[in-house]
Amino acid sequence: MSPGARSEGRLAALLGLPVALCVLAVAVLPMLWTVWESLHRHDLRLPWLGRPRVGLANYAEALAEARFWDALAHTLFFVLASVGLEMVLGLLLALLLHRAFRGRAALRTLALLPWAIPTVVAALVWRFLFEGAPAPGGVPWLADATLAWVPVVLADVWKTTPFVALLLLAGLQSMDEALLEAARVDGATAWRSFLHVTLPLLRPALLVALVFRTLDAFRVFDLVVVLTGGGPGTATEPLALYTFGALLQELRFGYGAALSVIAFGVGFALALAYVRLVGRR
Amino acid sequence: MPVRFRPGPPLLLLLVLAACTADAPRGTVVTFPGSALGAEGELLAAQVERFERVHPGVRVELRRTPDAADQRHQLYVQWLAARVPDPDVLQLDVVWTAEFAAAGWIRPLELPAAARDDFFPAPLAAARWRERLYALPWFVDVGVLYWRTDLLEAPPQSFAALERQAQAALARGDVELGWIFQGARYEGLVTVFLELLAARGGAILDAEGRVVVDREPAVAALAALRDAIQVSGVAPREVLTWQEEPVRLAFQNGRALFMRNWPYAHALLRDPERSKVAGRFAVAPLPAAALGGQLLAVNAASDVPEAARLLVAFLTAPEQLRERAARLGQLPPRRSLYDDPELAEALAIPVEDALASIERAVPRPVTPLWTELSSTLQVHLHRALSGQREPREALTAAADELRRRLARAGLGADA
Repeated sequence: MSPGARSEGRLAALLGLPVALCVLAVAVLPMLWTVWESLHRHDLRLPWLGRPRVGLANYAEALAEARFWDALAHTLFFVLASVGLEMVLGLLLALLLHRAFRGRAALRTLALLPWAIPTVVAALVWRFLFEGAPAPGGVPWLADATLAWVPVVLADVWKTTPFVALLLLAGLQSMDEALLEAARVDGATAWRSFLHVTLPLLRPALLVALVFRTLDAFRVFDLVVVLTGGGPGTATEPLALYTFGALLQELRFGYGAALSVIAFGVGFALALAYVRLVGRR
Repeated sequence: MPVRFRPGPPLLLLLVLAACTADAPRGTVVTFPGSALGAEGELLAAQVERFERVHPGVRVELRRTPDAADQRHQLYVQWLAARVPDPDVLQLDVVWTAEFAAAGWIRPLELPAAARDDFFPAPLAAARWRERLYALPWFVDVGVLYWRTDLLEAPPQSFAALERQAQAALARGDVELGWIFQGARYEGLVTVFLELLAARGGAILDAEGRVVVDREPAVAALAALRDAIQVSGVAPREVLTWQEEPVRLAFQNGRALFMRNWPYAHALLRDPERSKVAGRFAVAPLPAAALGGQLLAVNAASDVPEAARLLVAFLTAPEQLRERAARLGQLPPRRSLYDDPELAEALAIPVEDALASIERAVPRPVTPLWTELSSTLQVHLHRALSGQREPREALTAAADELRRRLARAGLGADA
């Protein structure tokens, strides 16, 4: 390495330092602190108990708690149901918007509207819809453990399908039309050319949409808080809401921190799995 | 991730500012984050101004805090746990005293013997922890039954009679909904359950602090409530998502025969501009009414405890309480005020009913763990009411969890 390159490298490291420090301060340190906190019994409302080190007791408590496993199962169900629907509907919408027709630009803008509405506002609108007097279909949706999932999933699908469609549309537009042309010349039906040409070429865009949506859906919080509050009982309570309750309502910082670490672990594992999936192509 | 409120920088700034204005006449400043909305806020501001005239040299600074009880609770705990010296005076819900006193966050107060006899025993008991007084009652709330005078001759005297009348009215098509109450998963649901439970002679914790919410009266009370929603339809399933205001609105729009609510709804319901039931409803005492209301206490870390005590004494003095009752319709916690004919005009319920309700009001269990126990109970009650669990099964699970939580806090009374 020439002396010039070495000094340039040093300069680069120096210039990168502030960013590294920033990341350390706002991401790594709070995370480590949460892990540290999770090893203590720290209940803000019971100061007479002090803040003793309890090892992994908070984790043991979480793993023995039925409500924790329910919350995890609810979260995974929500991810599967909402992301599954969003991918299918998003693909259909993207294919539709990809075709050339009059008013396409206007339609694209319109399709994006739900995505632009803040989640809390959207959730309130859906809550009013399903709570209306009389309720749609005469069914009290939010008071039934199974039916309450319908507005929750529906609201999320309504809100984020446009986002998926937009990502897939970008994928479609960057595709080489000549390949479809060739398939047509070879006598492939529209269905076959979709299955064997469009879909494989769209794979990167599909994966990106899937990763974004899965990780986003895994953290679902605001939508559920407004729509059902996690109820009836705890029938629609996701992990983020359970953690919030322990942390900021019961003010059990140690236990809440343990829940946060577990949620972080699961989310991180999901992200890693996806990164490998995307990287494999 | 745990985010703790650290008022350091603003406080520091205040100190610096205070130091800069050192030559200005300096007085004691008492900070008080009381309910500051609407008519209540205006009245409080006027009373505080009077206090400042009576006590020159003391200035009161009103702060805004969230009006929702759980948000205010969260904020208070974060302040107090950090030993912040202000706010000096705190507005407590009746169920917070034990928690704050046990943590050493509020100061014990003294009360002259004469005043002690004037306050009702129930709210005064809610202001005590382990025989010591930590707060003074500001106003009392009791659950009451609103009923439609255009559809019924007289209010029901028991829960069974309420069900019969509601069923008959529903069968006749007089009204869309029979009985509505606060059934969402929050503190209000626990008070409704407690009222039915107490009417059957049951309790959540017994006098020794043991969990008894899995005994027969509790199972019967929860089963009755569940059946009203899921079997007879006397109560609509929508109540499972309703807090005070949706319940009030449904009754106000003439949809229901009976409503369980707090006295605040009275003034709104009798306004003919907005209410369809103005002049067509009355209020009856419940067989057992849950005790609610607010207390005033002094922050243990306050720098100006004497001035803070003066403010608490002033705001809970008869003159100020009479004014609150007359202007806001709140039930005063002092017995002597009920002889005043002016009060009868302002109150939601006839004076003798108000007195009867307060005298037999049922307090929620006095334990430092109440907010946590209540949120646990809410989950299990709501599961039973939405048909996910049988009442007995739900209450057994609830009792186990309550015992576990009490034991963990070192407060378990069960052997």
